[in-house]
Amino acid sequence: MTDRPGDPPADPPGDPPGDPTDTVAAAPPPEPGGDPPRADVAVALDDARFAPPDADAPVALELDDRPRAGLAPTTRERAAARSPSPTTARAPVGGPRAADVDRGGGWRVRLIALALFVLSLTLVLINQRHVGIVRDEVVYVGAGKTYARWWLDVATFEPKRTSEAGITRSWGGKGPTDNNREHPPLMKTLFGLAQIGLHDKLDVASEITASRAATAAVHALAIAILFLWVAAAWGQAEGVIAALCALFVPRALFHAGLACFDAPIASWWLLTLYAYWRGLSHRGWAVAAGVLWGCALATKHNAFLLPLAIAPHFVWVAIRAHRDPGPPRVGGAVIALGRGLRARWLSAVALIVLGPLTLIALWPWLWFDTYDHLAAWLRFHTHHVHYNFEYLGDNWNHPPFPWHVAIVTTLLTVPLATLVAAGLGVVRGLAQVRGRGAERGRTDAPGVLLILSLVVAMGPFLLGSTPIFGAEKHWAVASYTIAAAAGLGVVWAARRAAAAIAARWPTLPARPVELAAVVATAAIVVGAAAAETWHAQPYALSSYNALAGGAPGGADLGMNRQFWGYAARGVLPVLRAQAPAAGQPALPVYTHDATPAWGWYRKAGLLPASLPDAGHEETGVARSQLAIVIHERHFNRHDYLVWGSYGTVQPIAVLRFDGVPLVSVYRRPASPVVPPPPP
Amino acid sequence: MPAVRKLLLGLVPAIALAAIAAWSTCRTVGAGAGVPDDATWARAAARVRAGHQPGDLIVFAPRWNDPVGRLHLGDLIPVEMAGRLDGERYGRIWELDIRGARAPETRGLKAAEVHDVGGVIVRRFERAPAAVVTDVLTLPPPTTTGPAARPPTLTLAEVGFEPHRCWQVVPSAGQTVTLRWDQVALGGELVLGVGLADVFTRRDVRAPAEVIVDVGGREVTRARVGVDSGWVRVRGATAPGTAALTVTVTAIGREARDRLVCFAIEARR
Repeated sequence: MTDRPGDPPADPPGDPPGDPTDTVAAAPPPEPGGDPPRADVAVALDDARFAPPDADAPVALELDDRPRAGLAPTTRERAAARSPSPTTARAPVGGPRAADVDRGGGWRVRLIALALFVLSLTLVLINQRHVGIVRDEVVYVGAGKTYARWWLDVATFEPKRTSEAGITRSWGGKGPTDNNREHPPLMKTLFGLAQIGLHDKLDVASEITASRAATAAVHALAIAILFLWVAAAWGQAEGVIAALCALFVPRALFHAGLACFDAPIASWWLLTLYAYWRGLSHRGWAVAAGVLWGCALATKHNAFLLPLAIAPHFVWVAIRAHRDPGPPRVGGAVIALGRGLRARWLSAVALIVLGPLTLIALWPWLWFDTYDHLAAWLRFHTHHVHYNFEYLGDNWNHPPFPWHVAIVTTLLTVPLATLVAAGLGVVRGLAQVRGRGAERGRTDAPGVLLILSLVVAMGPFLLGSTPIFGAEKHWAVASYTIAAAAGLGVVWAARRAAAAIAARWPTLPARPVELAAVVATAAIVVGAAAAETWHAQPYALSSYNALAGGAPGGADLGMNRQFWGYAARGVLPVLRAQAPAAGQPALPVYTHDATPAWGWYRKAGLLPASLPDAGHEETGVARSQLAIVIHERHFNRHDYLVWGSYGTVQPIAVLRFDGVPLVSVYRRPASPVVPPPPP
Repeated sequence: MPAVRKLLLGLVPAIALAAIAAWSTCRTVGAGAGVPDDATWARAAARVRAGHQPGDLIVFAPRWNDPVGRLHLGDLIPVEMAGRLDGERYGRIWELDIRGARAPETRGLKAAEVHDVGGVIVRRFERAPAAVVTDVLTLPPPTTTGPAARPPTLTLAEVGFEPHRCWQVVPSAGQTVTLRWDQVALGGELVLGVGLADVFTRRDVRAPAEVIVDVGGREVTRARVGVDSGWVRVRGATAPGTAALTVTVTAIGREARDRLVCFAIEARR
């Protein structure tokens, strides 16, 4: 019932980078007693700063030749410098190395990252035009304007703005939700600044779209960073495919176009992890990681979980990089960890110090009574009400929740081709580690970090006590890990196919064959994800993947239909058609979950003034002449309120997505029915 | 031959990915094609209207498709029918289902006629209906004793996410309220349907409630309902005639505030 944006985007750029001496065509001979040549040998060792001594020390010296304050050479690095082994020193296919980017030699990598950023930003901004206003946005957009104005006042030296009273007026208050102080302010502030810039000053977007642009930009940055990360760790082809797989997740694209916190916290989380990973060997990135974690903290409380991913990874990296050669000995791991801490103290200190400082700097409400205000923030969320959420046929609003919600929901909402490719990527990665042996793997362990990220993001939902409402948006960062693994899986499958073809027809040029295989496989997998993602809009919260059987299959399984009331936008044309003629009395509309957005729809010209909101619950229904019911299982009660008051169970229209009802519209029959008295 | 096998083995992962990608695209993008559209529903509705008689029950399956069914046939479904105690008083039932789902009201019944209207399966069932001697929902308000937070009201309530017309009473926390109707005509069976209304109070207060039905001072049936019980149906035998009907409703426990106990009773022949 709503217009849909244009065609799906073109196939991904699919630019498998190319060192002509790739391992498919010309792998090095196996070392005595070692593994057979593998296409990914060089890839695994590309960041030679953490390479084992027998791997590719020349590259290590080349890539890590800058002084690093607080980043003393590791035992292994010293060993690597002493015993170079040029036989295995090979750049990964396409030469994706983080150090290339650092030195400015990675112009192609940067160009691809920029292209992905622009593509993501464009797609999200196009898509969000058709997405209804979600309940929470109204609150955040309003608060954001207040916050942004406060900052601008401070920047222009308006008097008394930084006093306790001045801060309280814009950032806090006595009530637990005054000025939306129960949520940290970074994204809201950006929403407000975007409103002032893009709407108030430039007038190029509505207030909602301007606010959403901030989320879209942060999300696009995360897509670009995911590419940079995967490209640096595994290869450019893997990076491009990973970024596109992350972009084309139906619900991720949906959330990326909302002025809410879920896409942003996933983005800040990923940016923090990337910066931390780079910071293991670069002082600047270590500092950036601390600041970025502060930004994550200033976005949503999920960020408190991030250290649970970073700390074990740091321990892993430190021990692997600094343990003594030879057989394990008692206390060896502790000694190695101590060395690691000494060598990379800046990473830990930056996170511990700069993270909280950044949070406080961005949140004036914490500039006084800091402990009390922090405690109130956390208390709000640890005592948060359990919203209703349908899952596998049951309505859940009270613990214990099923332990498998995060797993099953992810399996039913991420495009199947992406999931299968990710499975291949994980299998490939495990086989690589197993085949090569831990001693010979890379010690900065990006795969371990990404897996820890997924586990930590989903982990709380295995406990059975964490509220499950919102579902995948609360562990959205997991999709970045899945996408990264999918990038690996697609390239592995393609190279395996290319190798088989090259072996069967040796006269064929190996490089073009591999290029074609990677492009074709990537185009198919990413194309499938793109088609599914585009089809899901603008009702992505009702979409389910092929395992579920699409949206109707999800409904059959009793999976959650939607939340936030945004689908109401789809019935606005129906309501407009019911609007009274000029001079006729207004027809109040019972809007229940769409109530917060009603004024915004009117402001956007999507509703006439003659269709005002009728009010809440029984009183609102009794006053209404039209009613909408947004279909969620626990909202059935609104149907029954309307039936009782209107005296009919027959709607005049039902908005559907792939046949699945989303919103019903009722009109009070001509003969008014006396509403039942409120209980 | 080994070379061909090696080639095929090498190609398997990529081909599998391509096949899964193609299949999943068709299955998701084409999912809507598996759900009948409005034109098909209009034809199915016309089939029902052609044979419909006043008092016929109309049900839809799966439950999530109910709004679409009501869009096309809702004018034949009075609110009282939609909020029924159960389906036993209806001798003729029309079931319209899609995607192989079936409605619980027709479980165990044999269809008198079946039509496939473009994927909407229209079934008509006939059976001997339960003869209702007294429906307490048609009786005047009862005499009420005991500490009630809210007095009994006749309402259409959400119980177990389904609509039910009922007498709704809210005892004070931990208290008992008694509702009494005198001179109620009875048959050989009494059916009680009961549950806790309102999803939000069920969420916030987890205490159960209990309902006991007495006829002429003798307990006929009882039911204990919790937050996850939904709409519970229980039966009891009665002697045909006329007697006082007493319903005792207890909110169990000191924390049992806001127990919106919703019940319907039919005396059947």
